[in-house]
This record gives sequence, C-alpha cells and structure tokens, in this order.
Amino acid sequence: MDLTFRKMLHNLSALSDLAAETSSAHNFNEVTRASLHTLLGALAIPRGAIARYTTKPRQLKIVAAKGSAGAVGLRIALRRDEAEWLADAPEPISVHAENNGLAGLVERNGELVKRLRADLFVPMIARGELMGLIYLSGKFTGEAYSKEDLEIVSAISRNIAIAFYNHRLLVSLKRKAEENRRLYAQMRQIYRDTVRAFGAAIDLKDTYTSGHSDRVARYAEAIAREMGLTGQELEHVGVAGYLHDIGKITVDRAIINNPRPLTEKEFGELNKHVTTGFEILSNIRHPWDEIAYMTKCHHEKVDGTGYPQGLRGDEIPLGSRIVTLADSFDAMMTDRPYRARLSLDRTLSDFRAQTGKQFDAEVIAAFCRLLLKEIKGTTRDRVFIPMIGLKFDKVAITATLNSMLVELDGSSPRYRSAAS
Amino acid sequence: MNAAEIKSRLVENAAVIYPGIYLNQLRGESIESQCQELLASGVRNIVINFEETELINSIGISILLGVIESVNHSRGTLVLSNLNASNRELFEMLGLMSHVEMLDTEEVALAKLSGRVETVM
Repeated sequence: MDLTFRKMLHNLSALSDLAAETSSAHNFNEVTRASLHTLLGALAIPRGAIARYTTKPRQLKIVAAKGSAGAVGLRIALRRDEAEWLADAPEPISVHAENNGLAGLVERNGELVKRLRADLFVPMIARGELMGLIYLSGKFTGEAYSKEDLEIVSAISRNIAIAFYNHRLLVSLKRKAEENRRLYAQMRQIYRDTVRAFGAAIDLKDTYTSGHSDRVARYAEAIAREMGLTGQELEHVGVAGYLHDIGKITVDRAIINNPRPLTEKEFGELNKHVTTGFEILSNIRHPWDEIAYMTKCHHEKVDGTGYPQGLRGDEIPLGSRIVTLADSFDAMMTDRPYRARLSLDRTLSDFRAQTGKQFDAEVIAAFCRLLLKEIKGTTRDRVFIPMIGLKFDKVAITATLNSMLVELDGSSPRYRSAAS
Repeated sequence: MNAAEIKSRLVENAAVIYPGIYLNQLRGESIESQCQELLASGVRNIVINFEETELINSIGISILLGVIESVNHSRGTLVLSNLNASNRELFEMLGLMSHVEMLDTEEVALAKLSGRVETVM
C-alpha cells in the first residue's frame, strides 16, 4: 500500500477514534486522556500534555499528560496578552523559536517543558475562544515535524478543543438546570407553606377546628397514596385538603361557631362556602387547575344528594371524594360546638352506612386498609392513630374493618393500591 | 476505567505478553502497567506477541511508545512478534521499525533473547 495513502488512512482512523471518544459517555478526564493518546499515537509522539484554560483565575491547568509523572494538576499562570496571542495563533508554535511571543510562558513552564521535552505548543481554539494548550514533544523517531504532520496536529487539536467547548457548555447547562431545580423546589415549598398558612388562617375562624385543614390534607394525601396516586396527582389532593374550607372566610363567625342546630338560612349561608371557595381559588393561578373545582365538590355525595351541584359517582372528581371522607373523619373525631367527638366504632359505623351514599366505596376501602395497617403496626406512617388515640378495642375495630373490606370486595376497584 | 485482563507468561529469562484481538486504550494501559510491574520485578526481556491482534489504533501506538521508553529506560529488551501485515505496515509507516525489534514468531523472539539465535533486522 502506498505510504501516503497508508498515512492518510491512519490519520483518518485517529480522527474517527477521537470522535468516538469525545462523543462517548465516559468521564471527561478519561476522554481527555484518550484524546491525548490519539494525538500522540497518530504521529508517534512519545510525550505530551493537555492543559485546560480558565479565566478565573487566568491559568492553564494540566488535565492529561504522558511522559511526565505528576504533571496532571499543575497550574501555570497565563497573562492576558499571552492568552490573546494564543487565541489568535493560527497553527502550532515552536516552543524554542525566538520571538514566538511566549518567552514568559516558556519560562514559567520551564520544568514541565523540560520534563515533556516539549517542542510544540498547540493552542486549542473553538469558536474563536482559547480552550487550552497542548504540549507536544518531538516525534519518537527524532524526525522533524513535516508540514502535513502539523496539519494533522492542528486538525486533531481543533477536535479536542471542540470537545472541551461542548463539555464546558454541558457543565454550564447542568449547573443551570440544577439551579433551576433548586429554585423550583424552593418555589414549591413556598407554595406549600403558603397553602398551609391559608389552611391555618381558615381554621382560626372556628374555635373548634384548630388544625382541621392540616389534618384533612394529611388524611387525604394518605388515602390518595393508598389508592395509588403519585406525584402531582397526590400533591394536588393534599392542597385541596388544605384549602377545602377557604370559602368559610366569608361566612359569619357566629354561624360557624353556633352551638345550636342551624336554621335553614344559616345552613344556606354556611353551604355557600364551597362556591365562594371556588370563586376565590379560580382567580389564583395554581400549578394545577383542578384544585379550585376539587374544593367546590367536597360536599357532593356519590348518590347525588350533595351540594352545590348534586353530582353523582364519577362526576365528582376523585380528589373531592377523598377530601370528603378525610373531612368527615376529622369532623367526627373532634368535638364540635353542637356535640362531643364520636367514638371510632361509631365513626366506622357511619362510614359503613354511608358507603355508596355519601362516600365512594373505593375511598372507604383505601381508608380501611390504611387504618388496619396502622392498628397492626405494619406501616411506619401514623396518620390516623394520633387522632384516634389508643383507647379503643383493637380486636373489635380490626374485625369491623375486615368485615367492611369483605363487603367492599364486591365492587371492582378502579384504582390500584400503591401497596399492592 | 477497569483494567482489561491481559494474558502473559514467564519463559526462562523473558516474559511474553499477549495483547489480544484489539489494542485500544483499555488493553494498552493494562499492558503498560503489566510491563512496568515486570520491569520492577527484575524481568528485563519482554516479548509482546501480536498473533491475535487484528488492529492497533493510534491510542494503542501511543501506549506502546510508553512501553518502549520504559523498557529502554530499564536497559531491557523489547521484541514485538507475530505482527500481521497491516500492523507491521503501521509500525513501518510511523518509522518505528528501527526503534524496536520485530520478529516473525514468539519462538524466534525467545530464542533471540536467550542468545541461541542471531537474527538480522
């Protein structure tokens, strides 16, 4: 095979190896090391190094080296005029040539230049920017670099420079993406804190319901999780739990705290809180549109006898059906102006009676499974037990929950439990 | 990067290394470290048998240059054997024929290193 043709093939193969390396998913230090080997192997150069240029501080840092143990990590200061000079240099520069414009740099690099027996400085330029500097010793054979050799060196150096440029871009993008993720997480936290604060503000209207919104949110989230909801779906059920009673801020405190049975007019006023809440929340740009509507529907009943729209079954958003149960559970398990808190047994009895009427069977089943897990201690989460306390007949309640689940098995579940 | 497993064996006064089918960075660096270990343990004659090696890329060449320098620095002898025509052409093209001895077979290389046979380069 003709020698010139053979050389061309070898150099093309080197460029191809370099392209494969620089586009690989390897650690960038390994890519840099492989790039240096590719350049050295293309022309049988025994020693060399690649230095990355940084502007803050302005310096060259050796990131790959061959033939000089301990060179990696060395930092060499670079003056602004030297950096500008290198960025404009069209081709490899002879280290030892007089008036090469780099006398100061050669002097500061003295030890490294000596160890590498460096003959050439090859600036790495990408898009007109200095990315670094390659140090090359003479060829292994002792022959001088030919014009073609220098062209090959320049071509490979340009490719390495582009890889450095792309890597810097990628690092910068990753940093920005990380910063955005952090800001987004902060924003979400602020959002959740604000929602919680709203919930607390709503509860302040009612002497008896301190912490109600917070608890409803936690119950609703736990039930939603048990039903297999995750991510944003889960989160917006929680937010709806916090804000479900926001409309009550417009209801007269005397009505909310009235210890006697409410008159029809008072009921009318109180029941407006769902539509008022919807109006309030509709004007806020939540991350999720459904929240306002979910809060509006938290007094709907699956048999169609609820308010304000008399929706039935699946017409009611799932989140609302979950909040309805969470809200009722908290209401039954706390003292109210018109009655003392109910027992767990009584609460479960009401739930059982209202399954398929006020409450969705799937939601009731998820609630039963969760409560059983907490009673049996098969879950670390304690969502309901803190409210229920420990003074109840575990055997009897367990039997009730199991029997409710047996009854509910007749309905085919539409939502898969996360636990199953 | 994990080191590739490189076959080798000790024969009388020499070590023989078998780079395998493709001499790339991973395998080249393993050969380089193996040679350095052999030199450090006192072995001075090394044969690299390229019989199974179909391709040596530029990274492999760069690493081999390091091996040649290490052996020279330790005043040892390195012989490359069983190179196929393509790999031999590569060494020729890079002008390396006069810097490292290349013999046709491992047996000839070992005989040469043991002083039993004289070869003409």
